[in-house]
Amino acid sequence: MTTVFLGGALVAAAVTLFILQPILSGLHASLDRVEDELTDTEARKRIALLALRDVEYDFLTGKLDEPDYLSLKADLTAEALAALEADETASDTHFLDDDVEAEITKIRAALRLGLMCGSCGFGNDDGSHFCSACGQELKIGVVG
Amino acid sequence: MTILGEIALWIALPISVWGMALGYAGGRTQRGDLVLSAERSIYAVFFLLVLASLGVVSAFLGDKFEYWYVASYSNREMEVFYKITGLWAGQRGSLLFWALLLGFFATLCVFLNRKKNREFMPYVAGVLQTIITFFLIVLLFADVNPFEQLAFTPANGQGLNPQLQNYWMTIHPPTLYLGFTAFTIPFAFAVAALLNGRLDARWIQLTRRWILLSWLFLAVGIIFGMRWAYEELGWGGYWFWDPVENASLLPWLTATAFLHSIQIQENRGMLKVWNMSLVMLTFLLTIFATFLTRSGLIDSVHSFAQELKIAYIFLGFMGGVLLACILLIVYRLPKLQSENSIQSFLSRESAFLFNNLMLLGFAFAVFWGTIFPLVAEGVTGEKVSVGPPFFERVNFPIGLVLLALAGIGPIIAWRRATKRNLQKNFSIPIGVMLLVAASLWMAGARHGLALVTWSVCAFVLTIIATEFWKGTQARARIEGEGYAVALFHLVTRNRRRWGGYIVHVGIVMIYFAFAGAAYNVDQRQHMLPGDQMEITSPFGHTYTLTYEGLSVSLGKGQRNLLWQAIATVSVEQDGVAKGILTTEKRQYVTSDQLMTEVGIRQTVREDLYLILSAMDDVDGVLSANSAAQGIDLQVLVKPFVAWIWYGGLILALGTVIALWPSVDRRRNRNRPELEAVTTPATAMAGAAR
Repeated sequence: MTTVFLGGALVAAAVTLFILQPILSGLHASLDRVEDELTDTEARKRIALLALRDVEYDFLTGKLDEPDYLSLKADLTAEALAALEADETASDTHFLDDDVEAEITKIRAALRLGLMCGSCGFGNDDGSHFCSACGQELKIGVVG
Repeated sequence: MTILGEIALWIALPISVWGMALGYAGGRTQRGDLVLSAERSIYAVFFLLVLASLGVVSAFLGDKFEYWYVASYSNREMEVFYKITGLWAGQRGSLLFWALLLGFFATLCVFLNRKKNREFMPYVAGVLQTIITFFLIVLLFADVNPFEQLAFTPANGQGLNPQLQNYWMTIHPPTLYLGFTAFTIPFAFAVAALLNGRLDARWIQLTRRWILLSWLFLAVGIIFGMRWAYEELGWGGYWFWDPVENASLLPWLTATAFLHSIQIQENRGMLKVWNMSLVMLTFLLTIFATFLTRSGLIDSVHSFAQELKIAYIFLGFMGGVLLACILLIVYRLPKLQSENSIQSFLSRESAFLFNNLMLLGFAFAVFWGTIFPLVAEGVTGEKVSVGPPFFERVNFPIGLVLLALAGIGPIIAWRRATKRNLQKNFSIPIGVMLLVAASLWMAGARHGLALVTWSVCAFVLTIIATEFWKGTQARARIEGEGYAVALFHLVTRNRRRWGGYIVHVGIVMIYFAFAGAAYNVDQRQHMLPGDQMEITSPFGHTYTLTYEGLSVSLGKGQRNLLWQAIATVSVEQDGVAKGILTTEKRQYVTSDQLMTEVGIRQTVREDLYLILSAMDDVDGVLSANSAAQGIDLQVLVKPFVAWIWYGGLILALGTVIALWPSVDRRRNRNRPELEAVTTPATAMAGAAR
């Protein structure tokens, strides 16, 4: 019986030491955001772009016809663009890989200038007037 | 070991109180040392709970009948397997088991988040320790301590209720408890988000997986329970709207609502207060389920006064949590404003919202039906029972609307669906639905509810199949992949969407099976050896059952079995021999009642279900009197029951697909959106991701 109580005391002591140690010896848990996590604005951007992706998907699989697709896409693109810009403002210290950064710049330009083909979704180079994937005329500034 | 276990339980209480206080304090003061101490306290409490549980198990294995709990749920003759599962066989052990599982998930949560989501973790640790503290207080102070000793040591224990000595019964409660306890993690994150004010989309992303995990355990646990009832209770049903069953269904319903409504918040920034409330409600319902089933309120009306203490503690805790949740939400209302509004009644948002209202309506009906007898008895002193007719009348229509929404949701457009959109997407599924209805009618199906259910099942399946087909086809075309590869990539690149569709297929299968109950055939007949009974299946064929006789085996007390009388019945289907089925009556040492073991022949199409209802002369049978072989045999033919279990498997598969983490999720987190807007080829790949 004594052994059991001794064991109990030992467990109690060990556990107490384990939880008190951080305070006694000044061990700290981090309370800050880790760099690799999504920030608030990144999360928003992600959501906006995923919504855009869903509309693309619905259009490509024929669930949305063109007029609906174009009007929805115009709304969503405006949101995505706003989110992208908010993210850029917010994430000064948060750097991404160079190639990713370049791609984002390209998308942003495509979104702003309406160079992304409204018919097939192809992202055309600056200055294009017709889509190089499907030949559709590109309506510059459709996105606003 | 047992005494050490009891000591561990006592040590756990101050440690968890410490962790609770330091978690909140650490979050408030942003002091890392306090937070680390709080997090370590979770590991420590889990360790102590493991010791306590080992203590209970060792008491069972060592036949220590000086402990009330062991003496009440075990005896010397019980198999080792059931002695181990004795940990959750009764109220006291299962409350400890609850705390143990919660400790496990809390430990897992702290460990997985040791390097991320740090700004949430102080409060998460605080909330988790609050819940653990509550259960420790219940265990130690509400007269339900599993280590309570009797004043004397009985020579043997009372043994386990034989109905619980069943394979399904040993895995059903732990599965449900896993679901209940896992839901504490999303609740902790939600409260943490309210406390630290980070109420953007992140807490939802952080908790979605936990909610899915909990949802999966709940769903599987409920289905295991149905399976147990079907095989063991011996009346041929799998669901009886029993309070215990209802209690497990409630959090599952609200968690289902949440899994759907977060998609509106994610896509449209709406329903933030609603989602927050759903998490809180679901958590409260998991506690309510434990309260209802383990506070002794329902299963021990006679010892009501003795059990009142635990009931008050539970009610007080639930009231406190509810109040705290409401205050927190009100306090954070300015940060929970919707960013958008619903633009059209005909839209996916609106379909999701409708789905939520239906699920909540369903849950409320179940809740009310469950507690009404208690309330009525409390107020009028008279016993009232709310039977299956109430639940069925209210919930069948709601269930049908929910089923239809599982088809409408995926294909109706976000924001606003135009007439063109509706025509384009709905004409084929509606056509198929009408075709199925007409064919069933012509095949002779006349039961209205079943007919409607099966037709709506066809509607939903057509939509899901079309989704898969279109997605695969588009991907195969754009990526130049074979169809099988395209399908595989389609599902793996957007597990959440396609996993969700697979879950819907499982649900459709279960509905399909439920509707089959409209065509159950039930026949009862007195039989002597050699007698035959004919029963016609709704599919038209006829079973001829020949009663071959009773055989008795007298147990020698092993496994607590005194004797079993086995009725052997040979089965022919339209003249073709299909083997032999047996159904039994058993007498256990541990129970006065005779137990029935049913005989089931399961096929894809229907179950043949045999019940040995009664024996003419039990004493005669036991004294091997060959003239005393008359029995009452009840035979049921139950169409499509197997589809419930198949549907459960598919549902679990879909959930696992949706849960499966992407290996490169973090590294590539910017890719899908890039691809979506760059090239058509990658747009498709992105769309499928």
